[in-house]
Amino acid sequence: MHQALDEYEKIAGTPVIEQLRRLGDRLKGRKILHVNSTAEGGGVAEILSWMTPLMQDLGIDANWMVIEGSKEFFNMTKSIHNGLQGYPVVMHKRDWETYIDVNRHNAEKLRPLLQESDFVVIHDPQPAALLQWFPKRRGKWIWRAHIDVSHPFRPVWKSLRSFVQAYDASIFSMAQFAQLLPHPQYIIAPSIDPLSEKNIDLDVSELEEIRHRFGLDPAVPTLVQISRFDRFKDPVGVIKAYRLVARVKPIQLVLAGGGASDDPEGSEVLKEVMEEAEKDPNIHVHLLPADAHRTVNALQRLADIIIQKSTREGFGLTVTEGLWKGKPVIGGDAGGIRLQVIDHYTGFLVNTPEGAAHRIRFLLHHRERRMQMSRTAKEFVRENFLLTRHLREYLTLILTLLSGEWKPTVVV
Amino acid sequence: MSGFEIKDCVLLSLMSGMPPAFNLRELRDRIAACSQDVLYHHFCETTLVASFDYPDYRNDFAVWASKRLGDKVLAERLGIIDPYSRSSLEDLRGEVLDIIDERLSEQTMVSWARMGHEFYFMKATTIIFDTGERIHQPEELLPAIRRMSNGSIYFHFLEARRRPPVGADDFAAWLVAFGPEWQPYVEALSGLDFYFSTLSQLKRQLIELFENQNLS
Repeated sequence: MHQALDEYEKIAGTPVIEQLRRLGDRLKGRKILHVNSTAEGGGVAEILSWMTPLMQDLGIDANWMVIEGSKEFFNMTKSIHNGLQGYPVVMHKRDWETYIDVNRHNAEKLRPLLQESDFVVIHDPQPAALLQWFPKRRGKWIWRAHIDVSHPFRPVWKSLRSFVQAYDASIFSMAQFAQLLPHPQYIIAPSIDPLSEKNIDLDVSELEEIRHRFGLDPAVPTLVQISRFDRFKDPVGVIKAYRLVARVKPIQLVLAGGGASDDPEGSEVLKEVMEEAEKDPNIHVHLLPADAHRTVNALQRLADIIIQKSTREGFGLTVTEGLWKGKPVIGGDAGGIRLQVIDHYTGFLVNTPEGAAHRIRFLLHHRERRMQMSRTAKEFVRENFLLTRHLREYLTLILTLLSGEWKPTVVV
Repeated sequence: MSGFEIKDCVLLSLMSGMPPAFNLRELRDRIAACSQDVLYHHFCETTLVASFDYPDYRNDFAVWASKRLGDKVLAERLGIIDPYSRSSLEDLRGEVLDIIDERLSEQTMVSWARMGHEFYFMKATTIIFDTGERIHQPEELLPAIRRMSNGSIYFHFLEARRRPPVGADDFAAWLVAFGPEWQPYVEALSGLDFYFSTLSQLKRQLIELFENQNLS
């Protein structure tokens, strides 16, 4: 259930909403189409589930389509995903043929919408090849990379680059993620929806129900990592950090996350994590359904400390969510976590399980510091990382592209 | 008296196309070669860029020197530069290069940033648009500021300093025409120390300034 733009006024402020309406007025009736590869699970689907209706609320003719693909296709695109994040993967010619075939099929299926849209935003690598079947497209096509492609495994990037270089523009979440391309590369950080099930305020009774359901002891400090079961999120490293702390202080750990329909590797990693947890009653490992947003919300609110010990990360929206709930975050020194976790202000950046354990102990020991960080963290998110800022930057990008050649200042 | 047209602006950052700098020498050479738009972005537009940090310094070069090169001396020297007090962006560039050259001459080895912490040269597009709101009397300015977005605050108070009359904000430039009664506000606006403020903080400063009955 999406919210109308006015619902955000109480949180973001009247001037922010009025500014969006004024920008929207200049784009009324324009056709904008978002395309990605999954309708649920993962940050991209979450972003599109609010962005599309809010654009419509502004009078823009916005749509969101999801491409269809075979199991082979999603295995292959998972390899692309890993390769773009620097993991050496073996990809064969037939893998790329599968990629092209699936994109060709979707290009035909979505042809009328893709052909007539003023702006097409293609999210991530999975549908990136669609563009080649639209040589006479009328709209501007934008490739939106949500993942960190700063140090890709070169053969994968080289192949993908051939598909994305023909776009009119690309968007990366951070400057550090960008790759050199022959078109303008814009920087738009993602955001969170404060009124979504995952971020909305919850009653104490609901929190207590979740605490009970997950068997969490209210008297013991709780450490929570919410993420997909993915090696780059280093769940095993989190367990190691927990064990180092548990030797000297009572603590409980929750590792919880959903799977995504485009992530076939998740079950394998989950198995490794279960083995590592070895029936420790204070380690709670849960594979959550894709729609368990309120559960995730409650677990984050029940946490004393949020951890996101990724070794590779996109922007790291779970960090933003944790900060919005007023929790200090211990984050891996990677990707967008680096942008959000500022030592001693919003949490701590760490590189090892030992470093994470040290900071967990520090935060548990300094309650006042933890409380101060909580207040700072929430205000940073309110000011800069709510969906209102994110939407504003998309509208700005579209107005920029409408104005033609890049100029430092555009009057509309 | 002419009415005050309330404008708004939004900013979107993009890569400048220049390679990133990994060390101080590269930073120097890129600053020497970059366009004025890049220089302006890293000095003046930082307040409009989303961030989780309240950095010690208000320009990106000083922040990078401090955080990524670990060169506090350079950070302090760069951090004190007030871009709005320079007559032109070339003047500003010259001063930055002088400071970096001096620092390079003091060092026995060039300082480097770790991989992943390099300096990225950015620029931005600013979309300016008319809100349609007009005010005609100075008394209307305070309620108007209360309604303004951070983009309007940036446009009328910071970005205005690049436009004629150069160095003045739009509010002060407009109030001047209303005679000596409003002169204390013009002077208070000119003396407002905004350099360390975020746009939300600056908006609060402006509201407090106009709420201050002692000025009237």
